[in-house]
Amino acid sequence: MTSMKILIVDDSITIRRIITNALKTVGFPDTVEAANGKDALEKLTSTNVDFIITDWNMPEMNGLDFIKQVRATPDYSSLPILMITTRGTEHDVIEALQAKVNSYIVKPFTPQELKEKIEGILKTVQVNAA
Amino acid sequence: MNQQELDGILQKAAELKVFCEYGQRTVPVLDEIAAFVREISPAIEDLRAVVEVSMVNIPRAADQLARVTQATEQASTDILNTLDRMVATLDEVIGSVASGMVSSEVGAATKKMAAIVKSLVDKSGWDEDIVKLAEAWDIHVQSLRMSGPTSNLERLLKDLQNDCTEIMMALQVSDITQQHIGTVMGTIQAVAEGLRKLTTGFFSTETAEILQPQPTVQVQFEQENVGEVERKKMVESLLSKARAGQL
Repeated sequence: MTSMKILIVDDSITIRRIITNALKTVGFPDTVEAANGKDALEKLTSTNVDFIITDWNMPEMNGLDFIKQVRATPDYSSLPILMITTRGTEHDVIEALQAKVNSYIVKPFTPQELKEKIEGILKTVQVNAA
Repeated sequence: MNQQELDGILQKAAELKVFCEYGQRTVPVLDEIAAFVREISPAIEDLRAVVEVSMVNIPRAADQLARVTQATEQASTDILNTLDRMVATLDEVIGSVASGMVSSEVGAATKKMAAIVKSLVDKSGWDEDIVKLAEAWDIHVQSLRMSGPTSNLERLLKDLQNDCTEIMMALQVSDITQQHIGTVMGTIQAVAEGLRKLTTGFFSTETAEILQPQPTVQVQFEQENVGEVERKKMVESLLSKARAGQL
């Protein structure tokens, strides 16, 4: 179990619940949810978030624009970001990486895959910070 | 009339001659065009009928796809609610089973012994031998649990909980379906918009007004023509390249 707070950004309430439950089963029970990029930016200002999991296709502000905004904001620019999306073309992945997403999962995913990705990102972030 | 005026008239006459000759050549072409238009007129009427039907049917199809999306989302929510209740119930049952020996005779004796051992530890002022006895007792109780009938039940209940998690994860399919339906709807709307423009510019009928202008839809043309495993490999390969600064 870890006390790390994870922000889940997805317009689908089903997917938010699935990610929340998957995170609980792999030891990350502390989560906060947002329905789109705009909502997530508001959550970032009101909550201490340690990690972001975001979808790509969302109304109001999509995941890619949200990531760009986060990276452009000094307070949040180094927050680890994992993108979970149905968009699985090479072009999509490159575009997300160019927006400085830390890692990428194409749906469907398993709780174990989610855990490995999060731990991988945290390890890389720690190495880079050291 | 001087020579200059005469030359002017002759010039005009020459131009008129050229024009007439041109007209003689173009009239048959115009006749051919008219014949062609008469010939394709029924086809244009047929096309108009197809467009008119499409402009009614396309919004209807989009509406039906939206209903599928809503129904899928609602069903997923209902299943998730049920699974949440099942997982909570299983948590409770697993908790009861873990301490389930209390209800059996062995359980009552074990509980009594546990109280005695605890009392001994407290009274002895954490005497080394008594603490060792307490530790040995804990191991004995754990082995009783592992070998007892309840341990099998506990394992089965945990298996059920894992199954619930798997069902929950499988519900991702609803979102994946919705996303793909969304792309199809975008394409349909783009076609509808094209037809609307066609009717406005070509047929100039009232049907052009049936379909209101739709917002520009971004259609994803790049096909995801690889399987799940290949796609994940591709993602991992790109992530490695990004980490190595090769993107």
